[in-house]
Amino acid sequence: MRCSCEGNFFMSVQYGIGVDVGSTSTKAVIVDAVGRMVASHLIPTGGSAALSAAKCVERIVADVGIRQDDTPIVSTGYGRAQVNGAGERITEITCHSIGVHHLNPEIALLIDVGGQDSKVIRIGKNGRPADFEINDKCSAGTGRFLEVMSRVLEIPLPELGALALESTAPSAISSTCTVFAESEVIGRIGAGDSVKDIAAGIHLSMASKIGTLSRRVGVVEPVCVTGGVALNPAFRFYLSKQIGVELWVPEEPQLTGALGAAILSLKNND
Amino acid sequence: MSEEKAYRRLETSQLLQQISFRHMLEAHAASEDGNLTWITSGFPVEIPIAMGIGVVYPEQYAAIVGAQKVGPDICGLAEEYGYSNELCSYARASIGATIKPDQSPLGGLPRPQALLACNNICGTVLRWYDAVSELTGAPVYLFDTPPIDDEQLPHHVAYVRQGLHKLVDFLAKKFDTTMEKENLRKVSQYSSDAIRLWIDSLEACKNKPSPLNCADRFLTMAPVVSSRGKDYCVEFYQALNDEVRGRVKDGIGAIRDERVRLLWDNIPPWFQIFRFFNGLAKKGVVFPADTYTHAWSGKVSGDDLYGSITEVYSNVYLNKGLEAKADKMVQLIKDYALDGFIMFSVRSCKRYSLGQMVTRELVTERTGVPGTIIEGDMVDSRLFNDAQIQTRVEALLEMFV
Repeated sequence: MRCSCEGNFFMSVQYGIGVDVGSTSTKAVIVDAVGRMVASHLIPTGGSAALSAAKCVERIVADVGIRQDDTPIVSTGYGRAQVNGAGERITEITCHSIGVHHLNPEIALLIDVGGQDSKVIRIGKNGRPADFEINDKCSAGTGRFLEVMSRVLEIPLPELGALALESTAPSAISSTCTVFAESEVIGRIGAGDSVKDIAAGIHLSMASKIGTLSRRVGVVEPVCVTGGVALNPAFRFYLSKQIGVELWVPEEPQLTGALGAAILSLKNND
Repeated sequence: MSEEKAYRRLETSQLLQQISFRHMLEAHAASEDGNLTWITSGFPVEIPIAMGIGVVYPEQYAAIVGAQKVGPDICGLAEEYGYSNELCSYARASIGATIKPDQSPLGGLPRPQALLACNNICGTVLRWYDAVSELTGAPVYLFDTPPIDDEQLPHHVAYVRQGLHKLVDFLAKKFDTTMEKENLRKVSQYSSDAIRLWIDSLEACKNKPSPLNCADRFLTMAPVVSSRGKDYCVEFYQALNDEVRGRVKDGIGAIRDERVRLLWDNIPPWFQIFRFFNGLAKKGVVFPADTYTHAWSGKVSGDDLYGSITEVYSNVYLNKGLEAKADKMVQLIKDYALDGFIMFSVRSCKRYSLGQMVTRELVTERTGVPGTIIEGDMVDSRLFNDAQIQTRVEALLEMFV
């Protein structure tokens, strides 16, 4: 049956599940046959990728009232190999690309900033990645960088961005290494810089690193930002300045990987 | 019955083991006779062989250290001694094994009486061989090949050629021997024959399915690096070529289900060589070409052998600019009908890895095929992050869907 709703897929299944096991959090999404998100859940990954994935899936199938065994699952993220019941394992590069394309087919460039890595993906035909870059092994430019800095400044992570936006003179922070930047922040505190200026410097440093990564792929508009860090207003502000374009952020930017996986579970079972 | 493997083992592997064993035995015997040199992979080996002098390769030894998965231990011996962990892991492995041979695979390399370095592959070799010289007392001869930009300048040709004559003088004095022209002609002929057969085996991979995969070439290249110029090296490559051409004739591929054809750039992660390439073989990925094993392709020939050696060993593409590397990759992608490429950024091999980001862009621009860069090291497994590498490689493969 050809569906006339938003999805335009040929469907033989009613629902699809996507599970994104990241280094910081595990996300699961259920979409219906036309690709509408009907349930989602996010929990910290903790020590076991398999367990966090199972907990997430258990919760969303209960919310929708469906049987897990009857529903195709695609897993993604660093823990994708550990997800029980996944019919297919697809990288987060492809899943984020598909997820964002599903939400906004206009998007040409996707910047995803996760806990452990940041990726820049040029979205091509049918939402598939046409080119991509991932940060090097250094954790500068990832969510972990902000976590470490929030601990050093003793400011809760959700408040760090708003505080940074109050600054008019960001401190100079090295963009090369999280560990060295930590010492540098402590040095700035010792030198008497205000916390808001240091917080702004931290965001600027991170945005600068990701700006470089984006320019390597080539900044083509419209640009979307996803991942937990996309919720941070100071990061969005500085990244937008760095690459010189407006940024589009989905309503739930942490879920696009799981959403893409769920969409692919439908496509692969149609 | 056991499950059919995704890749096919070469029959010639057995012969390779024998020839490698023979090479090491000859090196030990030469060392005992006070007649052994350690030599870099881009050195004109035809010269010492023609003068009856033994050769052994620290780079090949380091690859063995890597393949035996003891890279961090042996490199660690050099680091304990004071060398930086940023130094080339081939250098660290051979220095570590020289310091503590009893703790190293094969009991280390047999002790050298001279060290022969050619800087056409990198500048590190000189300092590395200096360090080994301090440890062993063996003198170093540097065969200096100035980098080539566009074309080799006439005074560089004269300079390199002069270096060859000085090399012959150095070896004659050190090992109390002479260079017989007829010997050099015979050795050069064996060398050229081996290279001709090697190149033909590489070029057979233009066929679909490809008769060789990356790991096959990285293992079977050993004799063309270390023993070209010997008669048994030609015999080996004849056997390999027969097997490869036989596979082509019968339509047999190196892997059972070839679906994606990729180019590999750089030295492989020796500690992962089977796991990495065979793992991809299970996904239908074959590597019909790579930039590294194609480096041994210059044939020493003609009436003016010294002139030929000068040209061949100066024109190694690592001795040329970035453009030469990009040209090589573009040519391989076109000639071998490849779908994409993987560039291995080797942390400790700066010379080979420098400029890969730009090269990647150039190659994609000129061929239209995608590529990705993965990071790690050839010997030091501490620098290899499996999860990150898997994600990059799998994401590349998903682009072919």
